[in-house]
Parts: sequence; C-alpha cells; structure tokens
Amino acid sequence: MSAFLTYLLNGLAVGCAIALIASGLVVIHRVTGVVNFAQGTFAVVAGLCVSSLLGLGIPHGVSELAAVTVAAFAGLLAGVAAIGRRGTTPLSSLIVTLGVGVLAYAVEIVLWGDQPRSAPGLAGSVTLAGARVQTQHLLVIGVTAATFVLLALFFGRTYLGKALTACASNPYAARVVGIDVRRMGLLAFALGGLLGGLAGVLVTPLRPISFDTDVTLIVNGFAAAVFGALTRPVVTLAGALLLGVAETMAAGYGYGSHQLEVALGLMIVVMIVQASRRSTLSQEVT
Amino acid sequence: MIGRIAVAVVAVVTLALPALLDDSALAVYILLGLAAMVTVGVSLLMGYAGQVSLGQGAFYGIGAYTAALLALGGVPPLAGLVAAPVVAAVSALVIGTPLLRLRGHHLAFATLAVQLILLSVAGQLEFTGGDIGLQGIPQFGVGSWEAGGAAAYAYLTWGGLALVMLVTRNVITSRPGRALRALATSETAAASSGIPVGRYKLVVFALSAAFAGLAGGIYCFYTGYVAPGSFPVLISIQYIVMAVVGGLGTIWGAVVGAAAITLLVQGLDGLATLPGMPSYAPTVLSYAVYALVLIGMVLFMPQGLVPALTRRRRRLNTRA
Amino acid sequence: MIDVQDLVVSYGTATALEHVTLTVAEGEMVALLGPNGAGKSTLAGALAGLLEPASGTVRVRGRLALIPEGRQLFPDLSVADNLALGGWRSGRRDPALVYDLLPRLAELAGRKAGVLSGGEQQMVAFGRAMMSEPDALVVDELSLGLAPNVTADLAAHLAELNRSRGLTVLLIEQNARLAFDLCDRAYVLESGRLVTEGPCAELAGDPRVASAYLGGAIS
Repeated sequence: MSAFLTYLLNGLAVGCAIALIASGLVVIHRVTGVVNFAQGTFAVVAGLCVSSLLGLGIPHGVSELAAVTVAAFAGLLAGVAAIGRRGTTPLSSLIVTLGVGVLAYAVEIVLWGDQPRSAPGLAGSVTLAGARVQTQHLLVIGVTAATFVLLALFFGRTYLGKALTACASNPYAARVVGIDVRRMGLLAFALGGLLGGLAGVLVTPLRPISFDTDVTLIVNGFAAAVFGALTRPVVTLAGALLLGVAETMAAGYGYGSHQLEVALGLMIVVMIVQASRRSTLSQEVT
Repeated sequence: MIGRIAVAVVAVVTLALPALLDDSALAVYILLGLAAMVTVGVSLLMGYAGQVSLGQGAFYGIGAYTAALLALGGVPPLAGLVAAPVVAAVSALVIGTPLLRLRGHHLAFATLAVQLILLSVAGQLEFTGGDIGLQGIPQFGVGSWEAGGAAAYAYLTWGGLALVMLVTRNVITSRPGRALRALATSETAAASSGIPVGRYKLVVFALSAAFAGLAGGIYCFYTGYVAPGSFPVLISIQYIVMAVVGGLGTIWGAVVGAAAITLLVQGLDGLATLPGMPSYAPTVLSYAVYALVLIGMVLFMPQGLVPALTRRRRRLNTRA
Repeated sequence: MIDVQDLVVSYGTATALEHVTLTVAEGEMVALLGPNGAGKSTLAGALAGLLEPASGTVRVRGRLALIPEGRQLFPDLSVADNLALGGWRSGRRDPALVYDLLPRLAELAGRKAGVLSGGEQQMVAFGRAMMSEPDALVVDELSLGLAPNVTADLAAHLAELNRSRGLTVLLIEQNARLAFDLCDRAYVLESGRLVTEGPCAELAGDPRVASAYLGGAIS
C-alpha cells in the first residue's frame, strides 16, 4: 500500500511536469493555432541553464528564475520564427518550430555538450501516510498547482489575459477592437517558453536532461494536450496527471520498459476517437 | 525536348559516376540515392495528400529489418529485397487505416509516435537483436552473382530510385493522380466532387512507405547491420527538409532536395573535421544546416527550389 | 471626419474597390448603400485599418470604431469582458458609461456573448464600439437579421449619439429605408465603384435607386 502511495505521488509529480509542458502547448495553440514542436526544447534549455548556473555557485532561486527567463526568451524567438512572417499557415509554422527544435540541438551541444546533465534540487524526503516521497516531488506538485492557479487568474481576471483569450475566441474581432493579434501570439509563445522552462527546472533534479530529451517531453506534453483537444487547460491537466501516474505505475510494477509505448498508444487512440467523433458531428451538420 | 535531353544527361552521368568515384565518395552517392528514394515518397505524401509524416523513418526501418531478418534466416537476398517494400507498404496500410483519420499536426504527431514505438519495440525484442540490432547480414546477390563492392550497391540504389521515380510519375499523371492534386489543396472540395479521399490518401501513404521500405532494404545489405539507432527521429525530419527544399509534390524536386542537403552536409562535414575544429563540430553543423535550411525554405521559398527555378526559366523564356 | 480619396483595395488579383472617393464631415451621418458583394464590407475593413489599400488614402480625424458585419463578438467571453476589450484603444476598462447608454447591457453583463440573441449581440457590438470613445463610427449592416423594433431601437440610439455628441457616422446598409430615415446624404456602391451620391431625398426620388433598394418609389 505504501509502495502504491509512493508511486502515486511520484506519478503525480511526473504528470505535473508533463502538464506544464502541455499547458504551454495549449496556450500557444489557442492564441495562434500553431502546435509548437519546440515546446520540449524550452524545458531542455531551462534545465541545462539551471545545471550550469547552480554549478557556478549561483544560489537556488536566482538560478531557477534566470533559467526560466531564458526559456521564455527562447519561446519568444521561436514565436518570431513561427508566426513573425505574415501569411505563414499553422502547418508551415509547425514545420518551422520543428526547425527551431533542431537548431536548438546545435546551440545546446556547443554550449553544454551532448551528455546528460543534472542539477541539485530539494534534498531529502518526507514520509506521508507511511510512504516515502522525495521532497523535490512535492515541490514539483506544489509549484505546478500554484502555476495553474496563477494561469487561471491571469486568463480569467486580468485584462491582458482576456485579450489573449479574445485572440483565441475570434481573431478578426480582436483586430477590430485594435488588438495586435501577432504581438499577442508572440506573448503566447513567450508564456509557452516560460511554462516549458518551469517544467525543465523542476524536472532536471529528478531525471538528468540532455539536448535530445525534448522529443520525449514534447510527445508526452502533446499526448496530454490531446486529451483537452489542445484547447482546454483543465482537461489537459487531468490528462497529464493520468499519463504521469500510468507511466510511473507501469514502471513501478515492472513494466517500465513499456511506459513510452503505453503513453504513445494512448495518445493515438484518444486522437482517433476524437477525430471520428468530430467527423460524425460534421456529417450531422451537413 | 530540353527535358528529354536533360533526363538523358542525368542518366548517363548517374551511370558513369560509380565507376569514377572512390569508396568514400561512393558511400555518399549511395546514401544520397537512398535518401532521395524516401524523399520522393515524402514529397508525394506532403504535396499530393497534403499530409505531414514525421515518422517516415519507421518504414525505412521496417524495410531494413525485414530484409535483414529474411537474409539472416537464409532467404535469398533478392526475395528479401522484394519483401522489404511489400512489408513496409502492408504495415502502412494497417497503421494508416486508423491513423489517416487524423490530419495536420495530429497526423504529424501520430506518425512520430509510431516511429518512437517501433524503435522502442525493436530495441526490446530478442529476434530483432535489441538495442544492438542485427549484424552479419550477407551481401546482396542474385543467384550465383554477389554484390562485391560499393559500386554494385550504387547501381542497385540508383536503379531503385529510377524505378521509384517512374512509379511516382505514372501515379501522378494517371487520372487518380490528378484527383489527388485536388486533395492537397482542399480535402472537402475533393470529397464533394466524389473523389474517395480516404482510399487515395491510404494508397499514397502505402506507396510512400514502400519507397522507404525499398531504401531500407538496400541500406541493410549495403551496411551489413541494422539497429534502432540507425533510424532516429531526426532521419524523418531530414526527409521533410529534403522534400521541402526540392519542392513538395515534384519528383525531381525530391532528388534535387536530397542531393542538395546531402552534399551540403558532406561539404560542411569536411570543413568540420579539419584539424583544430572541436569534436562536436560535424554534428552541430549538420543540425544547424537542417534547421536553418528548413526554416528559411518554409518561410521564404515555400514552393521549393525546383518549382522556383522552372518558374524563373519560364519567365525568362516568355520575355525572350 | 472620414475622408477617402481614390481608394483601391484588391484581394490578390481581384479588385474589390475601384477608385472610391467619399467624405463624411465632422458630426455628419451618411449612408452607404449597395447590394451584396458590392464591396461595402471591404470599405469598412479598409476604414478600420484591417485591410491594406493598394492605392489611395484613408484619413480619419480622431479615433474610428467599427461595428463589423455579423457583430463579431468574442463568444466565449462575458458581455462585460467584450465591452472591456472594446476599450483596448481608449484605455477605458469600466463599461459604466455604456451601461448608462444601454441599460439592458448591465443586466446581461455576466452572460456569455455567444448565447445572446441577435439583437442583444448587436447591442453588445454597439456598446463595444462605444467603449473606444470614437470620434467616428462605421456601422456595417446594423439591421441585418434583426427584428424591425430591435433595429429601430438601435437606430434611435445611433441618432441620439450623432445629435448630442457630434459622433460622425458612416452607416453601411442594404436597408435603404432605414438609411434614408437616419441620414441626410448617401452614396451608392455597386461592383466596387460609387455609382451615385446625393441627398437622401433626391436619391429616394431617383427611379433606379428606388427600384433597386426600395422595391418601388416611396409613397
């Protein structure tokens, strides 16, 4: 039972990291219609940054903050490439973000080499109801929960957040009232970079990160976002937690080598179910 | 007329090259041909079915493993080489039937997922040799003749490429091919004009998989081993770069794109391995080239090299 | 003041507006009539700066707001949020001023814009445009799809704003009766060109205009 609880909490922590990446995907997709393949890259950049900064003796807090800022800036740059040019279709933008991800490989290898790097996180562990849990796992869960609350407040309560929602809701109308939709798209990319970066600094102490970790991260994040049809943050969060727990349980009970297949298979099934539901709907309409 | 002469010149040069190149240059020549073979399929899929596959490397891998397993099991290499595209195409039909309900970025991620799953499975199964893969694959041969050197594989590769191009040309110029053209621009319009959209997309998907499978089959005989590491996700991205560079939906564009990227990466490789360069230079440069070329082409020359050049030539002709 | 000189707008190779010259003086209320596809909404888009002209100029004194065809609200956002976003240019965040003008909107404030009736949506679109504190207002198809009493209500508000605050109004309409009731002067746009213009009283008497837009002469 205590093993189960440990796996559950570990799984939730993994799911939280996925949720942060996925929420970045959702924010960018809602505002710009683009699926950002470089979303995992932001986490990698932040993770590598934080490992270097801590290695230089810069204190915790400052290092993480700086790393997340770098990731947000990387997000902005990815946005400039993906949507900066007028008339780029969403699918072209996806291919551009693919290119951004590969370009990041080159930069990352020059700066950090191709070996996995880690970073110290919160040391120690606590015992909850007889289950031992690493403190870092609890930190991941706590920070993610706080982030989602802040995101909800930002989009639901602030003027800027509502303007972003407006761009997602009706881009033409947004232009009518004078909102610069492209600039809002860039803001969404920067926010996506920030969220990815947050995932990166939280995860790096748990599992080492290297330049090509982005593929696993983006695929998991996309799988979670697919649950919410790439637009609904709460369903995305639920999907991410489900994925994280399922993968961790599979690993914990000895099916660890198949956790990626499980996650990916699940993602494909969810997408196909959604697609066939959509096509029945559109058939009813016509 | 000019087109015919050009094709003849290209054919002669293609046939003459293996005799003139040394082994390391031949290796580039062979890999170029194999990449072009896969890229023709990717270009067909993207240009005619309007779909992005981020998992074309999976079918390359399926072809390679198929031919390798059969050859190691004592089946004549020719049968193995024929089986490679067939198995790849059948896999594409099986995978594609549910998968092609998806479009756009959904399909892109689904195909990527398929490749990751296959790589992971191949890395774990015993009969595929796990992460180490399969080694000691016999040389290709027909009857008593055996492919001795790289030149033989070069002819095999470019013969295969010619076949792939011929098949693609016939598909494009056929009546269903013209209907496919409509598919790329608007699926809804194509569907409303009575084109069986789903079936056509599946056929193109299977065809592109067969091309990749054939390339994979030749690859395994040429290198003598296959492993999951031979088919990374990046290889699938590389085919997209080549297809985009050459121009989507053009046969020659795929070949030009594959040649341009392969030669560019090779050239930079030469530069990167000069004394004094850091050990990571070749990898970094090739990543940077893929990335910058891909981004630059999509943003500034989305129609690709070959259509852009033909248009310019046509414009010059009308002016003269 | 709205001043359009020799405006040409094209979509790719197709020309949507050909050499359109039109002025609405400060505090004036002018109608633009025309059938579907004449280029009315293209002109509205060009006036609002949403479309880049191929040639010619568009000058507006002060701030211009557009009530676009089909309302174009943010369906997922509340009425209050729709109004607040209308103040993006002016910096006004509090819709109180609009609630004074259109008290019904205060009652609807918490509802999502997407679930409202057509008349209520048009009222939100009207209020949203007023949030930008415009000097000039372009209304694209005020009456389209609305019940006559709803249209009359909105038209009365428009006339009142024009009279009391000197709001410059360009009323783009297919409903010529409504346009002639509200405005003194009108332009007629067909296939991207202005075909005629003049005082509404004269235009109403013009047999071509009367037969095309009024279904016969006004009695």
